[in-house]
Amino acid sequence: MRNLFIFIIRNSHWLLAALLVAVSFYLVFTHNSYQRSVYLTSANQVTGWFYSLSGDVTSFFHLKKNNQLLLERSAELEKQILALKDRIALLAAADSAEVNAFVSDSVPMPQFGYIPAEVVNLSFSGVNNFITISKGSRHGIKPDMGVISTGGVVGVVSVVSPNFSVVIPVINPKFRLSARLKNSENYGSVFWDGTSIGEAQLQELPKHEDFHKGDTVMTSFSRIFPRNTVIGFVSSQGESKDDNFNTFNIQLATNFYTLQDVLVIDDTYYEEQKQLEETLQE
Amino acid sequence: MKLSYIYELVLFVALILLQTLLLNRISLFGIATPVLYIYFLLKLPVGRNRYYVITSAFLMGLIIDIFLNTPGMNAAAITMVAALRKNVLGLFFEREGYDDFVPGIHTAAAPFARFTIFMVLLHLTLLFFIESFTLFNLKNTLLRIATSSAVTIPLIIALDSLMFRRKPGEQ
Repeated sequence: MRNLFIFIIRNSHWLLAALLVAVSFYLVFTHNSYQRSVYLTSANQVTGWFYSLSGDVTSFFHLKKNNQLLLERSAELEKQILALKDRIALLAAADSAEVNAFVSDSVPMPQFGYIPAEVVNLSFSGVNNFITISKGSRHGIKPDMGVISTGGVVGVVSVVSPNFSVVIPVINPKFRLSARLKNSENYGSVFWDGTSIGEAQLQELPKHEDFHKGDTVMTSFSRIFPRNTVIGFVSSQGESKDDNFNTFNIQLATNFYTLQDVLVIDDTYYEEQKQLEETLQE
Repeated sequence: MKLSYIYELVLFVALILLQTLLLNRISLFGIATPVLYIYFLLKLPVGRNRYYVITSAFLMGLIIDIFLNTPGMNAAAITMVAALRKNVLGLFFEREGYDDFVPGIHTAAAPFARFTIFMVLLHLTLLFFIESFTLFNLKNTLLRIATSSAVTIPLIIALDSLMFRRKPGEQ
């Protein structure tokens, strides 16, 4: 018995190590089962503060380029407004009373609101990529909201703290999104295979779907993103795991390396739709 | 001795910040990431208490995990490395009578280099296998271990030869 105690005492550092490793693995596995813990992620106050500090510094280096992008974007929107105005004017010339009624009727409360946020941290090393943004529950952000940039889809909000949120981007193996090609009604799902940060895969397309380089890939039925949000562009034929389906490689529309500003999508009908669909499942 | 603990604390904090704010954003060719924080374990005095080594390594891994949103992964890998540190030291350095000896490129170049290579390979092998448990193929994981080690090891040796150039009184 005494020898046993001596043995245990002499080797207790191994026990300590085993205990700590066990704790670590517990964390690994609970995290993988998608537990939304705020304290052990970069959405907590302390790490968020560090990241926003370093984000402030690095964002200076991108100001010029971002300004350029914003100008391009606003020019494009300006153009659309003009086109729409022209159209309304044209219609109004035909019958003003009817058109005015039509215009005010068909612009109800918008389904989607947008919350602008700043990227405070990007982590793109290896497998567990994520993005931390500078807005949280205090600004109305909730888990499962979609996030887009001026280019296209960025990801989905996963964890939210009062001032920060963590976004699971397209380039994370946990991310899946229903998508379709612009000129086709067939849909597949977007998935990231971990090889390149600029590229994801569009899987589970029907076999007869033809490959056209440069085709636009957009969201289809999704609770999270508005229909027809751009995801990327078809770049090459991918390898399919299954003979019954086609896989295309797609060039992502969002440049994750230079991502600075994002918009979080607030879908006013999200809760309603979710509740309705869940009543069916019960 | 007191000074040594303060110095270690500074190194601890500095390496965490360096790893999370700078190095983890580097991804050479999309696969190689320098993982420098193990340097803390290399620079602890040879005779340092094992509980201290294991606990501080675990804390360091956990803090890095919290920053990187990978709860447990870095902590598990670095804790295992810390537990084995004493045994690995025995492979490369003489054991007797040098409890305050801090391994370094200026005090014992060749053993320190071998020690570094062994520890980094061990750490990255554990880390990347834990990270890619189920998701990714073996080839990709091995490639990441090899390339990341190839980036990390020269970085550690360079850092050590720069930082401890005029450190007197060791050996």
